[in-house]
Amino acid sequence: MKPRRRRRWTRWAKRIASHVVLIIACIFAVFPIYFIVVTSLSTLPIAGITAHVLLPNPSQLTLSSYNTVLLHESPSYLSLLENSLIFSGSAAAIGLLLAAFTGFALSKFNFPGRRTFVYFILLISLFPSVVMIIPFYLMFAKLGLIDSYIGLIIPYSAGAVVFSGILVKNYMDSIPDDIEEAALIDGMSRTEAFFRVMIPLCLPVLGLAAFLAFMGPYTDYAYAHVFLTSSDKWTLALGLYNINSSDTGTQNYGLVTSFAIVMSLPIVAFYMVFQRYIIGGLTLGAVRG
Amino acid sequence: MSGITLQNITKRFKTETAVDDVSLSIQDGEFVVILGASGSGKTTILRIIAGLEVQTTGHVFIGDVLVDDYEPRDRNIAMVFQSYALYPHLSAYDNIAFGLRVRRIPREDDPDRDRHLTHQEIDGKVRGVSQMLGIAEMLQKRPSELSGGQRQRVALARAIVRDPEAFLLDEPLSNLDAKIRSNARIELKRLHQRLRQTFVFVTHDQTEAMTLGDRLAIVNHGRLLQCDTPERTLSHPLNQFVASFVGSPEMVFLEGNVESTGGGFTFVKGPVRIPVRGTGSPGAVTIGLRPWDIRVEKASTPGTLSGRVTGVERLGSSDQLFLDVASPPGASPTTPAAPVSLRALVRAYDFDVGDGVFVGFDPDRALFFNAEGGRLESMSISSPLP
Ligand SMILES: Nc1ncnc2c1ncn2[C@@H]1O[C@H](COP(=O)(O)OP(=O)(O)OP(=O)(O)O)[C@@H](O)[C@H]1O
Ligand SMILES: [Mg+2]
Repeated sequence: MKPRRRRRWTRWAKRIASHVVLIIACIFAVFPIYFIVVTSLSTLPIAGITAHVLLPNPSQLTLSSYNTVLLHESPSYLSLLENSLIFSGSAAAIGLLLAAFTGFALSKFNFPGRRTFVYFILLISLFPSVVMIIPFYLMFAKLGLIDSYIGLIIPYSAGAVVFSGILVKNYMDSIPDDIEEAALIDGMSRTEAFFRVMIPLCLPVLGLAAFLAFMGPYTDYAYAHVFLTSSDKWTLALGLYNINSSDTGTQNYGLVTSFAIVMSLPIVAFYMVFQRYIIGGLTLGAVRG
Repeated sequence: MSGITLQNITKRFKTETAVDDVSLSIQDGEFVVILGASGSGKTTILRIIAGLEVQTTGHVFIGDVLVDDYEPRDRNIAMVFQSYALYPHLSAYDNIAFGLRVRRIPREDDPDRDRHLTHQEIDGKVRGVSQMLGIAEMLQKRPSELSGGQRQRVALARAIVRDPEAFLLDEPLSNLDAKIRSNARIELKRLHQRLRQTFVFVTHDQTEAMTLGDRLAIVNHGRLLQCDTPERTLSHPLNQFVASFVGSPEMVFLEGNVESTGGGFTFVKGPVRIPVRGTGSPGAVTIGLRPWDIRVEKASTPGTLSGRVTGVERLGSSDQLFLDVASPPGASPTTPAAPVSLRALVRAYDFDVGDGVFVGFDPDRALFFNAEGGRLESMSISSPLP
């Protein structure tokens, strides 16, 4: 009788302890989002916000910041969103295609210098991308690519290839060679085998790579700031900074936070669409499908 | 369908030679088993036939066509991989249909142009083959949802449905457990009898090789040692390796010396003395005997050696006896020597450990090998045992 009761006790203690930890972790994760949401619904100056966040007064909640952000800012939200989608979408598409080829070549082809090449790419990916801004800028200034769409899509795609190429290579390494060989025997050329067998098999990692390749340019400030001068090509990240540092002097947190929320909506949508693949891609090591 | 000819095929990987000057001619419709230990180059030979690997030197013919420069897809060969290599993302049905979907055939109305197979044509073929292999009920399942035996059938179906020139099978049964394995073996044999297509089957299991092959090609260290019918490889092995590799239980070898004794020659191994002829000079010689050619009796008869049972391996329908054989009865050895160990295959439960027995064998069945393992065809036992 006694031991069993003690066991029940420890089980309860464990359960309570784990709940406490999870609740604390949850607060850490959720509170900033809550903070931003409540702030975006108010027009209070910075001083009043903390009290308001802890104890929101329903009568002071308003959508006026959203109204301003979406309809009365210049450049307009839609123009910023359009530019962001152009940059991120192109970088994700180009980067992904190249990364698929790169990963395939590095994983399944035998050519001299393959290992060196892999280490070289790994080495590049160790550098923070910001250090490459100056050389890129000088190079692209010579080529007349500053302040153009293509001029920014190139470095964005390059970044995606470096990172995703390795990701795809590692995934393809885990696919046995004889599956591709079976396709060759089945009457396919290597190109056909690539598109009809390898690509479908790599969908999980390609989903993850696409998401990361999209997120990078979408949230990038440094490159966009340096490369884009005319405001009609600005991205959302630049727009956010613009609101934050507008010349009214006092920073309007309602505007900044509501902008941040509408800016993150496309990412959330993107994530929900590709969730199946992204989660598959993140758990590659653990369970192979 | 066609035969396959390998002409002096050698394949080197960096430093090691995986296939060493192999020439082999496989007839149209023949079932040839490539038998060899792990790492002997069996898979490499198959891959060279399929075009997945390019030989360093030599030529491959499929039918009468020299295919050295052909891509795998242009050789129209089907292969069943050891791992089956089914497409994990496709259902069994799509796995089987996959090759048909990329295939192009000449158009009926205009033979100079080609077309894909129609949906109905593909469906008909897939269902036909699935029926034949008994997998019609599981066509919608993914490979991960199939058992090992079912996967093996899907892999076979994928090969058969394409109606290829020849089938290459790389240890297709080795992933199955013993019970389904012997069934699968019989089914495969039936399948071959029904299709009458060229089969090249790789295995390291000599029982599998014996039951399946019209001919066995025995390879070791990349070399083709012998290619013959199962009966011939058993009765006329070209060398000691083949003799020991085929036949179960393994052949018994007596490594001894031939000494010249008063006008003739005698094989000497410990207390065992056997008069032999056909040798030119004394030297090291090995006599090989099949365990089922060794007679074990309870009573002494002329020409037997006395011995003792030291161990019994019960194989089910028969027993393998481990025997220590000493001098022939009556003869007093001049120098007491360590007894000679033999193995014999006898009816089950006739003997037990510790039994005193008398051992004899048919002199005509003994094979002679020299110190390098080569067969000494001319040697034989000259007279019955003393
Ligand atoms: N791609 C390769 N690169 C280098 N060496 C190889 C390669 N493929 C095979 N080998 C070598 O060639 C030899 C023969 O290999 P192979 O796979 O043909 O043997 P196998 O008879 O099929 O063996 P198993 O019964 O284990 O499958 C081995 O020593 C192997 O190490
Ligand atoms: Mg092999």
